[in-house]
Amino acid sequence: MKLGNLIIAGVVTGSIYATFAVCVAVWYRVSNILNLAVGDFAMVGALCVDNLYRVRGLPLWAAIVTTLLVVAVFAWLYDIIVLRLAVDGRGRAEGIVLTFFFTFALSFFIDGVAKMAFGSDVHAAPALWNGASIAMADLHVARAGILVLACAVLIGGLFWVYIRFTLGGKALEASGENALGARIVGIDTRRYRRWIFVGTAVIAAVFGIVESPITGYTYLSGATISLTGFLAAAYGGFRKPGRALLAGLFIGVLEALLGGYVSAEYGTTVMYAILAALVLAWPRGLGFESAVSG
Amino acid sequence: MSRAAGLRATGLGPTALVLVAGALIVLIWGQEYAGSVFVLSACYAIVTAGMAVQIGFSQQIAFSQSVFMGAGAYGVALLNGNLGLSVLEATPLVMIGAGIAALALGVVVTRASGLALAVATLMLPLIAVGYVTSASYLGGAVGQPLTGTLWPGDSQASVAVGGGLVVVAFLAIAVFVASRVLRSDIGLELFVLGADERTAAAMGVRTPRRKLELFVLGCVFASLGGAAYAGTQQFVPETIVDPTAELALLIMLFIGGRRSIIGAVVGALVIQYLQGASSWVSVNILVVEGVVLTIVLLVDAEGLAGIAAAGVAWLRARLGVPGLMAPVAPAAAGTAPAAGLTATGPTAGPAAADAAASGTAGDRSEAVRAGEAVSGGETLLEVRGIGKEYGGLTVLDDVSLSLPSHGLFGLCGPNGAGKSTLLNVIGGSVRAERGQVLLNGADIGRRPPHERFGLGISRTFQAVHLVKGRTVLDNVAVSCLASHHASIITRITRSHLADARAKAAAALSDLGLADIQDREVSSLTLEAQRMVELARAMAPGPRLLLLDEPASGLSEEQRQRLAVTLSQLAARTCVLLVEHDLDLVAQVSERIFVLSQGRLVFDGDPEGFRASPVVTSLLVGL
Repeated sequence: MKLGNLIIAGVVTGSIYATFAVCVAVWYRVSNILNLAVGDFAMVGALCVDNLYRVRGLPLWAAIVTTLLVVAVFAWLYDIIVLRLAVDGRGRAEGIVLTFFFTFALSFFIDGVAKMAFGSDVHAAPALWNGASIAMADLHVARAGILVLACAVLIGGLFWVYIRFTLGGKALEASGENALGARIVGIDTRRYRRWIFVGTAVIAAVFGIVESPITGYTYLSGATISLTGFLAAAYGGFRKPGRALLAGLFIGVLEALLGGYVSAEYGTTVMYAILAALVLAWPRGLGFESAVSG
Repeated sequence: MSRAAGLRATGLGPTALVLVAGALIVLIWGQEYAGSVFVLSACYAIVTAGMAVQIGFSQQIAFSQSVFMGAGAYGVALLNGNLGLSVLEATPLVMIGAGIAALALGVVVTRASGLALAVATLMLPLIAVGYVTSASYLGGAVGQPLTGTLWPGDSQASVAVGGGLVVVAFLAIAVFVASRVLRSDIGLELFVLGADERTAAAMGVRTPRRKLELFVLGCVFASLGGAAYAGTQQFVPETIVDPTAELALLIMLFIGGRRSIIGAVVGALVIQYLQGASSWVSVNILVVEGVVLTIVLLVDAEGLAGIAAAGVAWLRARLGVPGLMAPVAPAAAGTAPAAGLTATGPTAGPAAADAAASGTAGDRSEAVRAGEAVSGGETLLEVRGIGKEYGGLTVLDDVSLSLPSHGLFGLCGPNGAGKSTLLNVIGGSVRAERGQVLLNGADIGRRPPHERFGLGISRTFQAVHLVKGRTVLDNVAVSCLASHHASIITRITRSHLADARAKAAAALSDLGLADIQDREVSSLTLEAQRMVELARAMAPGPRLLLLDEPASGLSEEQRQRLAVTLSQLAARTCVLLVEHDLDLVAQVSERIFVLSQGRLVFDGDPEGFRASPVVTSLLVGL
């Protein structure tokens, strides 16, 4: 039942990549900016809760609420200070490449602050659902893994309902298609950009808190998660949350299978090689060209 | 031209600056901490100088530098440790090895462009770090020490100073090569490639080859930087290849100024100095890099180099000194391009314009008749049975036409009739599913756009495709370059940009645009921009000129000036004109084709065109 267990583990990590990929894709649709800092918010969520609870002795619920508030306020401030100047300001940063570097810088900044505040050791938020992993026949699922999956399904579902069925979702789509046009018909694109940015930051933090008991985080863990989520979003052409979600799951399962069957040492290396080969073999099918021109 | 500008043009200025300043710093502080920080930053600067060419200037975002920097460093360490070669002997070998590896990898990777290239190469550092940490012969996660030094001195002082001077020499070579390439005719090709790959291909730039060359150049520079790093630090940490190192290199480039070689060097110095300046910064370098990059990008997207240039421009304005770089500076003061255009319009006597304006076939200008007189002759272009579908929708259906070597031919049709697609099929940016495109009897249907340009097919685009940030002269010179078959390496010794500019200047003065040739293109009016595009298309003396709605957005008066110009062009070459303005088409064309829903529904002279009920119902009765 090795295969079954590997697939379960892969689906759990894959659902995190998938959620992050959806976050990247949805925000890209609104803002035309690729966010490389999503994973860093997850890392901050985990390490901050750990610090408040374990070191400073706050009750767990208070630690979580405080952490999410800190993340939300920070994301909000970043939007109204930096993004407003960068995207709406006088010297508008043009092109996907330049705006991308703002989130590069943000990622570096968050990692650096986390190192200052929480040190460089491996930490994790306390498990929210204690107990041994749940076994069915030979299959084992960590309780944290079930929580991660539940969060992914819940958040994915909410996003889907929001985009598909609400007026806000349509407006959001319009902002991404043509920001100027959307503004002319009275949609406040900046507000959407801000709220999706703050929302995705908080979602990422929640995932960090829920998932960290499985893997444990350091101040650098965010970059790796971001990168993989970003790649998954890339396979969805950056604009298609549904495809990004599937790509995230695929990458998670692929990583687990390669780690289990090929080599624990080189599994990740082989996975990246496969992903690179896919991009090169099939750029148009993966929607890169439309992403570039769009 | 002043001496300073002359130095800038040859690329010797930046090189001399780096060489002199670097040597002085090493000689004075070489044995102190500050000197060692400088040498380390110079190693990174070698890498960022290559990145300025590849990423900044040509906008080919490839995340391969940290990997090849690591390859250079590990290569030198292995050759030094296992084969006993000195670092200086190992360095060229490692660079050759890196070049070959980059060529092999680049053939695969540079097929992708834009974001696909970035994403595919983003995986290189991830693959490399996974490999290196597990490879015991490279020292795994511990890293690889070296016994050899870059300069084999017998005292600590001579090793430090000698090694430092060698690194400065390496950096000077890198800056020299990069500056020479960017200032050459290929540098202009690269700029256009970065701004708009499609236009570059339409102007004859062999984009796949240039992208591959850029990739190899960036990788070889990175390996040289890595070799210098290993030889001076005497240790190769595994973190040299990881994604964070790659991002740090990008941050250096963007802080310094992505399009400036000296900026890229300064960016590397700034970041390394910040790290060396205080232990707080060194521990919290991520925060510092994040904040500095954000602030620099917010102030000026061109980084410190952009800020410095703006500062100098401001100072000059304050002091009333004319700028050396007048061509590149946005012409805020302005010299009224439209007025210039009118005054010196192409041979344009008002009489000729009036004659053209009257619009009946009977009183067309002399120029048009001259065009007709020489028209005909052997068939230049023949299009046979062209068919094209987009996702089941037939855009072109069995279209056949042939054009002689001179004259002006109109192509009309309602929106969506397939006019632009036909132009793209002839130009090569779209490949037809059926049919043949023959130029002088030879089938060119499978040739890429840049080869068709080489065969004498030149074009303009429906929307203006000029390259912002460059002068009118350079925009036109793009189509006059003779460098398409040359390699980047040959441009280190000799550039032919001046020849291309001379040819461009002649074409501009031909169209009466000489007085705006030093203006930056985005400061021009729409009419002037369209005229510049026309100049760019005709400057190389094409055999077939494809014009896609050159009159759109122009006023009636401007259209009449355009009509005169077109008539003159038709005397020299074959012009296929796609246009919605039926009066203009009927006025200047000797034969007109009408497309409707992908089929050719009319083919005849202007009189027949005006009289044709098909044309009337299709185009006039819209």
